[in-house]
Amino acid sequence: MPGLRTMTLPSKCLNCDVELSIPIVCGGCHTLYPIPQTANYFDLLGLPQQFDLDGEKLSDTYRAIARNIHPDRFAGQATEMDLLATKLSAQVNEAWRVLKDPVRRAEYLLELANGPSAADCREVPGDLLARVMMLREDLEEARDQSDEQTLTSLRCSIQDERDHAFDNIAKRANDLSLANDTEKKAFRQLLNSIKYFDSLLADFASDPLSQGNPQQ
Amino acid sequence: MAKASDTIIGIDLGTTNSLVACADEAGPRLLPGPDDGADFLLPSVVHIDPMSSQATVGAQARAQAIEKSTDTIYSVKRLMGRGFDELAIERERLPYKIVSFSKSEENRDVAAIEVGSNRFTPPEVSAMILRELKSRAEAQLGQRIDRAVITVPAQFDDAQRQATRDAGKIAGLEVVRIINEPTAAALAYGLDRGERSMIAVYDFGGGTFDISILRLGDGMFEVYATNGDTHLGGDDFDQKLIELFTSEIHEQFGVDISSAKIKQQLRTLAENTKQRLGEHDQAHVEIAIGEDDQYKRTVKRDEFEEMIKPLIERTIESCSRALKSAELNPSQIDQVVMVGGSTRVPLVRKLVGEVFQCKPYTAINPEHVVALGAAVQANILAGGRHDLLLLDVTPLSLGIETLGGAIGKLIPANVRIPCQATETFTTFQDGQTKVKISVLQGERELAKDCRSLGVFELQGIPPMPAGIPKIDVTFLIDQNGVLNVSAKEQRSGQVASVQIIPSHGLTQDEVLRMTNDAVTYAHEDMTAHHLIDVKTTTEFDLNKANKMLEKFGSLLNPQTQAQLIRAAADLREFAKESDDPVAINQQREKFNHMTIPLAELAVAASLQIDQEDAHKQTEVASDET
Repeated sequence: MPGLRTMTLPSKCLNCDVELSIPIVCGGCHTLYPIPQTANYFDLLGLPQQFDLDGEKLSDTYRAIARNIHPDRFAGQATEMDLLATKLSAQVNEAWRVLKDPVRRAEYLLELANGPSAADCREVPGDLLARVMMLREDLEEARDQSDEQTLTSLRCSIQDERDHAFDNIAKRANDLSLANDTEKKAFRQLLNSIKYFDSLLADFASDPLSQGNPQQ
Repeated sequence: MAKASDTIIGIDLGTTNSLVACADEAGPRLLPGPDDGADFLLPSVVHIDPMSSQATVGAQARAQAIEKSTDTIYSVKRLMGRGFDELAIERERLPYKIVSFSKSEENRDVAAIEVGSNRFTPPEVSAMILRELKSRAEAQLGQRIDRAVITVPAQFDDAQRQATRDAGKIAGLEVVRIINEPTAAALAYGLDRGERSMIAVYDFGGGTFDISILRLGDGMFEVYATNGDTHLGGDDFDQKLIELFTSEIHEQFGVDISSAKIKQQLRTLAENTKQRLGEHDQAHVEIAIGEDDQYKRTVKRDEFEEMIKPLIERTIESCSRALKSAELNPSQIDQVVMVGGSTRVPLVRKLVGEVFQCKPYTAINPEHVVALGAAVQANILAGGRHDLLLLDVTPLSLGIETLGGAIGKLIPANVRIPCQATETFTTFQDGQTKVKISVLQGERELAKDCRSLGVFELQGIPPMPAGIPKIDVTFLIDQNGVLNVSAKEQRSGQVASVQIIPSHGLTQDEVLRMTNDAVTYAHEDMTAHHLIDVKTTTEFDLNKANKMLEKFGSLLNPQTQAQLIRAAADLREFAKESDDPVAINQQREKFNHMTIPLAELAVAASLQIDQEDAHKQTEVASDET
């Protein structure tokens, strides 16, 4: 019978002594292990704390854990087990949501490195604001004139700039734990710039039809 | 009736039709109604007698819909979890009377239906449909059923899910899980398919539309995104035709359609026209107007398609949004599974095929598949199988109202459930012990444009100077897609209680009262049911006894034989006349007791026959050797 244990994550199942191949739950006897306060999303999914992750492996690990801790597994058992399974599932789902998306993953790594949050630091690199403003004007103008060619080339250049910012993030994200405050601040600025680019790109995608009226 | 069982049934509680199914090792199967050749579909129509409040559910209620239009409730699903003020369109369209159930508290708005002098909330009416399905299942399975998985449109918000759960409770069912209709359909579709694939389930029913994108593989059914519209369905196609007829009738005869009866007649006419246009290029329409006049017309398919195209295009926009949320291109979708009665409309199939660049999959019965999937999930939860798992998402963003009427998002849409978010609140006054939080669902930026789920009042906060308490409030959306809120003060560790005032739902006390009311009604129903059961059993026993008498009666002495024949005739007469199930049962048992000697003789005689047969067979066998 699956039991309920409360302590830091062990390497072997305390119930059946089987080695825990995935964290939080024993694949053999389905004992659930509540997540220690200190565990982060990487610990939760049993992955190394780094930016470079194999997407396939991440998804496979997520599925293996989600499958074993989903409340359906514990249907009909004591309420505490059901509740624990629900809470663990919620945490694992959140870990997966954050880690599978490279930008969110980078944000999270900065948070783990005690870097400034988006609320702490709203700055963007150099002349980005002026550049975004200009791009937006060009966009409006091209749209007014239905100038497809300019629209396409504008979108490509914005995408290029976003890719460039993202490459910079990817290069630095693995070394955040060793970074100094200035470097962390620069990293935050890069992350903020991605938001501006994404909002511009979303603007491109919104032709009158897909703008629609979101129901409800 | 038999004792409670471990069986959990799966229910598709639809806008137009409802179904019940169960699953075992052999797979899922639908449970039909009690009549000979009965359909699996139970029309979601309830007639409530205005005097006695007696309910009739299903085909019988639907057959009377024109005669008794103001007491006949259909499409009640459209009213679930909704307020009177939100139902302007439904109030205009539906022939029965929608009123306000309660406006006692500020910001609370719950709709109800008035029949005669009584008011019924939508969960109570849905409970009548559920109770019918429950007794269907009990009759088919020969056991008492008290647990169910019920499906809802994926786009149902928290209030609509809660209302569905309340309906189950009122019907005497523990709703062990609420699952999304397209997800249920995917489960039934993918049950026997091993290969990994990415599918879209396009679920267009009578009143709701959902599109869900799922990854199938390794026994897992993972929803990547869902989108849709809880107020768009085949009903709206009918409405387009009704509007056309109404305006032309007005033009030709100067008559305004106001009576509930004509409204209902037009609705039936529109439904039939829609169905005919699914198979033919045109449909002929005729309806009597007053004493002498007649409205006649031919509706061409092109014309009909022109009218409904904008509605279908709305579903296509939802498909694009779902693909975008899932971060997929149409070409990455291996299959589009068509679910719901409205996918029978040819133009729907055509436009869906265009957007996904493939021929939609229409080989499964679009009206059966959701109930079958619900039964599979019910079987999983009953412990019947462990090799399948659904991972669903929350359809709408969850947030709280912030200063200035904006919404502060806590959980975005299309996030895997269960999911949770924690937010810290504090007090504004010294010694304050309560904090009110207004919780919302929706994608819009302003609180007034989102759906209000209710006010959650945190109570029992230890009195401290203003701003000192730190109350962590956890918003947990569970595997049913239903919100659970808990709160804890950081410093004291004290758990604050959370009092919920639902905006458009029933309180726990109200549900309890309705459950008790329903049990009283159900008692009357039960007596009627019980009487039929007893009479059927008596009939069965009599037939059995008569057969034995015919075959083995000669083995009894003539006096006993005559006594038994007399007793059988008496019992038959008594069972026919009496309406007291207990008395009939007593007489039946007495009679069965009398037939014991005959039964023993019959057993002995048949054993002898068997032995003779065996003897003969041995002889044959020995001949061969």
